[in-house]
Amino acid sequence: MSEQRGRLGCGQPGISALIPWYVNGSIDESERRRIDLHLSECALCRDDLEQERRVYQGMTAETNIAYMPAASLKRLQARIDGAGGADTQASTPAAKRSARRMPWQAVMAASIAVIAVALSLLAADRWMQVRARAAAGSYYTVTTPAPRASGEVIRAVFAPAITLVDLQAILDEAQLRIVAGPSEAGVYSLASNSQRPVASALALLRAHDQVRFAERTPFSVGPGDTP
Amino acid sequence: MTIQAKNSAREHDNELLVAVAAGNRRALEELYLGYHRRLARFLSRFTARYENVEEIINDTFMVVWQSAKDFRGASQVSTWIIGIAYRTALKSLRRQKNHNNALSLDESPQQTTDPTFDAETQDWLRQGLSRLPIEQRLTLELAYHLGHSLEEIAAITDCPVGTVKARMFHAREKLRQYLPSLGGGRGDAPASSP
Repeated sequence: MSEQRGRLGCGQPGISALIPWYVNGSIDESERRRIDLHLSECALCRDDLEQERRVYQGMTAETNIAYMPAASLKRLQARIDGAGGADTQASTPAAKRSARRMPWQAVMAASIAVIAVALSLLAADRWMQVRARAAAGSYYTVTTPAPRASGEVIRAVFAPAITLVDLQAILDEAQLRIVAGPSEAGVYSLASNSQRPVASALALLRAHDQVRFAERTPFSVGPGDTP
Repeated sequence: MTIQAKNSAREHDNELLVAVAAGNRRALEELYLGYHRRLARFLSRFTARYENVEEIINDTFMVVWQSAKDFRGASQVSTWIIGIAYRTALKSLRRQKNHNNALSLDESPQQTTDPTFDAETQDWLRQGLSRLPIEQRLTLELAYHLGHSLEEIAAITDCPVGTVKARMFHAREKLRQYLPSLGGGRGDAPASSP
């Protein structure tokens, strides 16, 4: 303990153990007064406090990273929707009892029902194929004109395992910022942060191996464009 | 934040959680958006991959959704939610460590350089923190990064106040040994302690 005393103040019980909460400002008033009084008399603890404030300062430095909770929330909601059905089926006592005591007649009836559903699905599938051949193709791509986020000039898809630091570095270099996304398909909508021509930012994105796809948003007007 | 504003935020959180317990998805959405930034910044100190951060946050709010009805108001809603996030993160970080995929120094998120805090010390601090046992580091981060009090950390981590103090003491002591410019030591790795 003597080594610890040498490192963290004078080691007086109830003082050095509370220094972190004195530093973060969450300590109650009576404790604060007690520590203040001790600090006025103890150079070791004043030194300890000074060093601890430097650690605190270093740990509270802000990151440059921006988070986009909307897409994460969408995934949580989808998960809740998925879990809801499973929970309802599996968690009720009646469902559990019937699962345990299903007689063979019920098994047969269930099998027949499954076969009937499968046959109807097959028939429906055939009918849909015939309809599809007759109709024009209808599909969505990342460049399909769609509601555009404000200021969006580029749509991009990044490598799935890209870190936030790398993503931010690429955006900083291309002088772009995220205005929407990622969509279900992982597409980000990017706007320009500067007067850099969109074509130049696009070329930079495309040259990066962590960028899977980058395309100018159709009909967008960005820096460097002649009106 | 003033005491009045804090109380008002607490009351609002309570109302939201009651609504979540009744199955209100809008209330869950509001609670999620209210806590996402705080949790994401906190968790990104342990893992650089956004998918890991998102996974921990969504696991946390899945538990909030399923367990809101069990909340009895023994602590603040924020303490309860951060407590769930703490346990989820602890489990996830241990799993990552077991798979040799824990946060490496090269991966750890870069902090904005504070002009009054030199880059060398910042680097030592980053390295020192990454070497701490996970419970000690989480205790330190809960106090310094999220600003929680001793009692709140005890509630979040579900540990006695004495354990929190001991974890904090060991964390600080090890950090001083890792940080020569702060502790005056040689920067050698200290022997492991409980």
